[in-house]
Amino acid sequence: MKRIRNFFRYDNIGLLFILPAFCYMMFFVGYPIISNIILSAQNVTVKNLVKGQKEFIGLENYITLFGDDVFRKALLNTLTFTVACLVFQFLIGFLLALLFNKNFRLAKPVRGLTMIPWMMPMTVTALMFKFMFSTDVGIINYILRSAGFIKENIEWLTTPGTAMIAVVAANVWIGIPFNTILISTGLTTIPQELYESASVDGANGWQKLTRITLPLLRPTIESVLVLGFIYTFKVYDLVYVMTEGGPVNSTHLLSTYSYKLSFDMFQYSKGSSVANILFLILLLVGILYLKITMQGEED
Amino acid sequence: MDERRLTGKKNILFSTVSVIILVILLFPLFWTLITSFKTEKEIFLIPPTWYPHVLNTRSYAAQIETGDFNMFKSFFNSFVISSGAMAIAVVLAVPASYAIARYRFVGRKAMLLGFLVTQMLPVSVLLTPMFIMFRNMKMYNTWGAAILADATIGIPFSVLILKNYFASIPKALEEAAYIDGCTRMSAFLRILIPVAKPGVIVCAIFSFLYAWGDLAYGMTFILDQEKRPITAGIFNFMGQYGTKWSYLTAFAIVAIIPVTLIFIFMQKYIISGMTNGAVKG
Repeated sequence: MKRIRNFFRYDNIGLLFILPAFCYMMFFVGYPIISNIILSAQNVTVKNLVKGQKEFIGLENYITLFGDDVFRKALLNTLTFTVACLVFQFLIGFLLALLFNKNFRLAKPVRGLTMIPWMMPMTVTALMFKFMFSTDVGIINYILRSAGFIKENIEWLTTPGTAMIAVVAANVWIGIPFNTILISTGLTTIPQELYESASVDGANGWQKLTRITLPLLRPTIESVLVLGFIYTFKVYDLVYVMTEGGPVNSTHLLSTYSYKLSFDMFQYSKGSSVANILFLILLLVGILYLKITMQGEED
Repeated sequence: MDERRLTGKKNILFSTVSVIILVILLFPLFWTLITSFKTEKEIFLIPPTWYPHVLNTRSYAAQIETGDFNMFKSFFNSFVISSGAMAIAVVLAVPASYAIARYRFVGRKAMLLGFLVTQMLPVSVLLTPMFIMFRNMKMYNTWGAAILADATIGIPFSVLILKNYFASIPKALEEAAYIDGCTRMSAFLRILIPVAKPGVIVCAIFSFLYAWGDLAYGMTFILDQEKRPITAGIFNFMGQYGTKWSYLTAFAIVAIIPVTLIFIFMQKYIISGMTNGAVKG
């Protein structure tokens, strides 16, 4: 008893405060991660999910996956989707951050309002974009037609290439606020005097941007891109609601394919293998991110 | 931000540009709202109408009357699920983040890393194991399953945000409380939590919003439409009625009511949550 009391006397009393949350997460997240790894090494389908023999088959699921055309397609799609989203949301977010960094009267309230897309349930965003991209009633086709860009309505969501454009557009819409706000915050850390002395030395706007803003913003840009990568790479609801991975798997991402395998085709083990590969990629990127941000922080 | 306030022409120019951008960015929302008040016939008109020429509130009313697809019921389900997840997340995350900010206990770094890693976790990793778990716990197809699962999104986020708030409270404040006879528990409850209240509000808001936006858990762990959250309701509805856009857009508008309210009344907390949560990991 006394030893226990001594153990908790100083800093270890913190354990009493953190253990409830920690145990909760171990039970509802830690344990599922482990059991997902075990699941991916078994052969579980709807027949033996609850009862019955679960055969251990090692890495077989992973090996079959790499021979699976849909999986390879989903992996490639995920990369394409992520890179396309990152490029556009970063560029637009960056420009908006520069704009809102000017001290005009409406800067703050307008910047606040641009945050709305980020807070919306992804299902609702998916619905809105599905509506706007729909072939006959879609406002996007109408605008493009009246502007003379197209003659016939485009079947955005039922044609392979254009379906990807539509889901990227929807996701960029969600991602812009996130990029804007983080870059805005980063911009406020740059001392104003630097710009003033640069002006005195005769630097123009472009030079200030490339010689002062971008180099000093580098840590922020790195964080924004890595976090954006992590968030985008695992996007699930948006694409699942808009296209369910179709047409002809052209918008299947690792996340949607994993869901489809598990809960539409009831091949639980295969689905969890896909999920694990997705997690592994995110983990590697995440470690990279932590390495970048933890540098210089004491803990 | 530039310290000098822009005035005159420049102010007007930048303000105009920013308002134009805002209008473009928020157009999808405006369009959804407008569409939800149009008749199905008017939605198909070409050229489209920019406001409902015939005001149609049936898309909202029909949901209550016919009841086969009661979005207000789904709304209520979502509300219960999100509030439950929020309560769990806040109750667990507040003491945990205080511990991380104040004490150097055994395993602190590992636990902190654990919370960071869970933020990178794709839902698909957890779905099947949780599905099996909730079946074994006899919680499958109940609100409870979605509440417990949704809380796992809010907890790590809240811990990471709140630890910064607690770390910024001067130690002297806590020590003064001990001298005045507070125990650790009462100092924590009566001094520290009230001081960290803005942070607690941020966590509550985000835990609620994350749960509100969840589709995967609600759809996978709850089978009966009667008990499902509004996001799953929308998804179902899209599957069944495909392109009944008047109903669908009304559904979408109802689903974003809480988001809008939170935004209107608590905007500063949202910005703080977005920046702190992301930059500090």
